[in-house]
Amino acid sequence: MDIRKIKKLIEMIDESDIAEIEIHEGEESVRISRCSSIVPAAPAPTPPAVTSAATETPAAQTSYFTAPSKSEDGDRITGHIVRSPMVGTVYRSPSPGAKVFVEVGQHVDVGDTLCIIEAMKILNQIEADKAGVITKVLVENAQPVEYNQPLFIIE
Amino acid sequence: MPIDDLNKALLRLLSDRRFHSGTELASALGIGRTAVWKHVRELEALGIEISALPGRGYRVLSPLEFLDEAAIRAGLGSEAAALLSRLELHGEIDSTNAHLMRSVADGAPTGTVCLAEAQTAGRGRLGRNWLSPFGANIYLSVLWRFEDPSRAAGLSLAAGVAVVRALAARGIREVGLKWPNDILFEERKLGGILLEVTGEAHGQCAVVIGLGLNRSIPPGLGRSIDQAWMDLAHVAGAEIPPRNDLIAAILGELLPLLESYAERGLPPYLPEWRRFHRLQGREATIYQGEARIGGRIVDVTAEGLLILQCADGKLRRFASGDVRLRPAEGKP
Repeated sequence: MDIRKIKKLIEMIDESDIAEIEIHEGEESVRISRCSSIVPAAPAPTPPAVTSAATETPAAQTSYFTAPSKSEDGDRITGHIVRSPMVGTVYRSPSPGAKVFVEVGQHVDVGDTLCIIEAMKILNQIEADKAGVITKVLVENAQPVEYNQPLFIIE
Repeated sequence: MPIDDLNKALLRLLSDRRFHSGTELASALGIGRTAVWKHVRELEALGIEISALPGRGYRVLSPLEFLDEAAIRAGLGSEAAALLSRLELHGEIDSTNAHLMRSVADGAPTGTVCLAEAQTAGRGRLGRNWLSPFGANIYLSVLWRFEDPSRAAGLSLAAGVAVVRALAARGIREVGLKWPNDILFEERKLGGILLEVTGEAHGQCAVVIGLGLNRSIPPGLGRSIDQAWMDLAHVAGAEIPPRNDLIAAILGELLPLLESYAERGLPPYLPEWRRFHRLQGREATIYQGEARIGGRIVDVTAEGLLILQCADGKLRRFASGDVRLRPAEGKP
């Protein structure tokens, strides 16, 4: 990949609020990350390492998933954002090679498993807290995620 | 293949490590000699290694001790006994964790314990297969609910401490941990713990803690494992604790831990966890998906995150990832 292109990318990311970007071109790929997919060393908001995803209580939904929408999520995103309740690694299918839990265009009901987030060998099922259609998948399989990072959009 | 009563009876007969002739077995079981041979083949299909010598008969290579509810309950202290609400023993099951995760929806009570002689789909992280031959090891899962899911933070590390304590109480010492909770003996994997969490109504969550502990891996099967493994038979030799007694010891540590965990959390277990941790100060690489981050393992945070000091001197924290020792320092 052209080094100038990478430099340009870094500049672009620097000006944005994107934490990490990965680009594939043919057989080459580059991943640029602000924190190299690592939990910041600065005191982080104590993320609940284990948490329930699907709840019937609106209060819990607010605290885990519909936390105040930050500007870095972009202005174009509409719909219900499902956020990561913890720091960990996302798995989109129950096991490698298996069918993913959800895909874009799929209808989900409350309680359906959307993905698994692993933290400290705890596999947390992240469930839909709202029924609707998955319009965006914002994470890739095996990608590290931060607390509150948007995972899916349900509309 | 389900283990039927006849197979069980045959296994009991063969489990004294003596040779038994086909004729002797046939008459003891009330079946023909061909049927004996057929059942021996079925046991072998379950992963039980049986030697057959012409003129002498059959013998099980590794001694078998069946799961026994009475023996397990007898070994529990009164505190753990009060917390054990349901004890399920299965001959063969897909996975004790998967079974309890399904039971959550059916309202299985907190304190449900599931054990199996064999698992057909025993698994570890990333869907990795967990070798689960019949009767050889311990496959144990416990279901526990938390009113406030955030109170279960760090539980995977605490569970590792509980298992090391239980082993020490039964004379198996020098057992260590690898972040977050692999059970090690001399840097070889003796056991693994996998927790699964699912949300429930009213904001509470159900946690299933699964333990796979190698007790006596049949030698033939052991050769097929692609990582450095260890079993209690190697560690303890003739001093190996009875399987049911060891299960009781593990439950004796784990159930009281779970009962008080929402209130106490990880802090009371951290000093022990640090003492048991075998990777402290070691050079390692963390594999996270495609990313690899190298550095020296310096500690864990109060929440149980791994702290790595990278080449640039910065401390970084990890919630997930495969930790592998650098080859230069790791044992060959």
